[in-house]
Amino acid sequence: MARAIRSTNSRVDLIVLVTAALLALVARGLPPNLRDPVASSMRRTFLAPLVMLQERAEASRRSLLLDNERVAIRDSVALKAMSVNALESENDRLRQLIGLGARVRWGFVPAEAIHGRGVRDVTTMTLTAGSVAGVRRLSPVVSPEGVVGMVTTVDPTMSEAMIWTHPDFRVSSMAEDGSAFGIVQAHEASATTGYLMELRGIPFRSQLKPGQLIVTSGMGGVWPRGIPIGTVMSEVRSAAEAWARTYLLKPVVSPSDVGAVMILKSDRVSKGFENVWSSVAAAEAAAQRIVVAGDSAARAAAIAEAAARRAALDTSGRSSAAPAPIPGGLPPELMPDTTSRAPIAAPPADSAAAAQAAARREAARRAAARRDSARRDSAARRDSIAPRTPTRGF
Amino acid sequence: MSLGSIARALATFLILVLLHYTLRPLLGWRAPMDFLVLALLLAAIRVRPAAGALIGLALGIVSDSLTPDALGAGAIAMTIVGYLASWLKAVFFADNIALNAFFFFLGKWVFDVIYFVVEHRLLGIELVQQLLLWSPLSAAATAVAGVVLLFVMRPLLEPAKI
Repeated sequence: MARAIRSTNSRVDLIVLVTAALLALVARGLPPNLRDPVASSMRRTFLAPLVMLQERAEASRRSLLLDNERVAIRDSVALKAMSVNALESENDRLRQLIGLGARVRWGFVPAEAIHGRGVRDVTTMTLTAGSVAGVRRLSPVVSPEGVVGMVTTVDPTMSEAMIWTHPDFRVSSMAEDGSAFGIVQAHEASATTGYLMELRGIPFRSQLKPGQLIVTSGMGGVWPRGIPIGTVMSEVRSAAEAWARTYLLKPVVSPSDVGAVMILKSDRVSKGFENVWSSVAAAEAAAQRIVVAGDSAARAAAIAEAAARRAALDTSGRSSAAPAPIPGGLPPELMPDTTSRAPIAAPPADSAAAAQAAARREAARRAAARRDSARRDSAARRDSIAPRTPTRGF
Repeated sequence: MSLGSIARALATFLILVLLHYTLRPLLGWRAPMDFLVLALLLAAIRVRPAAGALIGLALGIVSDSLTPDALGAGAIAMTIVGYLASWLKAVFFADNIALNAFFFFLGKWVFDVIYFVVEHRLLGIELVQQLLLWSPLSAAATAVAGVVLLFVMRPLLEPAKI
């Protein structure tokens, strides 16, 4: 009896399974034009709460992901902002180096300086160029500012350079005007005061002034003439050197700031570097002059315009019966001192307006002429210092 | 089966259905856990195979209605899984964590195999990759979720004391 009941139940289960599977297959086989309305009606009716829940969960997930993305973007922007100053500084240095490369034009190897030790202990550095690139022992190493050091050891792809702070470093030098010659070396007692140089062997009769530029003299065959070394700070009094003077120099190149450098090849050194570094100083001075000239021209134009407006206002003020403050009038420092002037008979209103217009036109003409003149001067200065030959980058 | 145990089983079933439509999209995993299969398995072991098949059919139609292109595929898969789960309850209905986890894993994997074969959307290497890589991962996640839920919902799932 029990077996019969179990058998019947199993048969019922099987029938229900087959029926359910057939129904599911029928649903699977429905054409899209029937299937979509069925699914849509279920989603709109008893499944609507579940659909709504799912939509909200997916929206929450999207907003969570967006928030994570925003945080990541904010973090990366903050990280980039932290490195902006360093990048700007590096950019400036590379621009200077590119400018120097354009002036030197040929016979140099660009390299990156790798400092191996602490900032206060820099006497040598590794350069990322070697004999394959044409670097030789005793090749001068320069930066846009001036003397950096010289190559001491050369490998095929790397080289070692002695920076001017090294105790063995010497360079034959002279005052920029050629009035005195001497030897520059590192100042030994500068461990606490920072890196300084000494200019030794200056004849007693030659006296250098503070701020005077010292450059390489070209004697000795290693360094070409005219590369800046440093500026005179003061004289070092020494009882041991009775017939010569020693000067303390402020170097133009700080050892810790050396990044990208140029290694000069021997054939280029023998050709000389006339006006390469001096044009750098000239360009900077010219740029300063352009800025100052532009400022003064703008100031003169503003004063002329203000004077014209002042004259026009005076004229119209005298002609009106009830004077009133005029908006946009002159600033107090440009107001005329009319207290000592004698009263002038007021011209008719029409002539006052005409005089005002004429004064405006005259002021505008003068200002435009001054601006044009300043622009011409700046352009001429720029042309005089810019290289006229095609340049080559590296 | 008393009325209380029926009510508790129904509550568990509804909670799992709700989790399927809230927690699963929120997590957004590539190999997601399937709470509908868990609900079906936990319901099927309490009823006869015929009822398990009908519950599977209903759940399958519900889930398919949200993906109209696959309408019927989920229903077939759930019908068969519901029937088999109910039929095999004598084997798997044990208070053993590993056995229950394997039961959930097997149920989800069998469901995926039937679903993806009937759906006929993935073919070739994609189908093999789905069935041998992503489906087992999804089944494992479902098994873990099932075991955790068994612990959490133990008061609801225990038979009523008379």
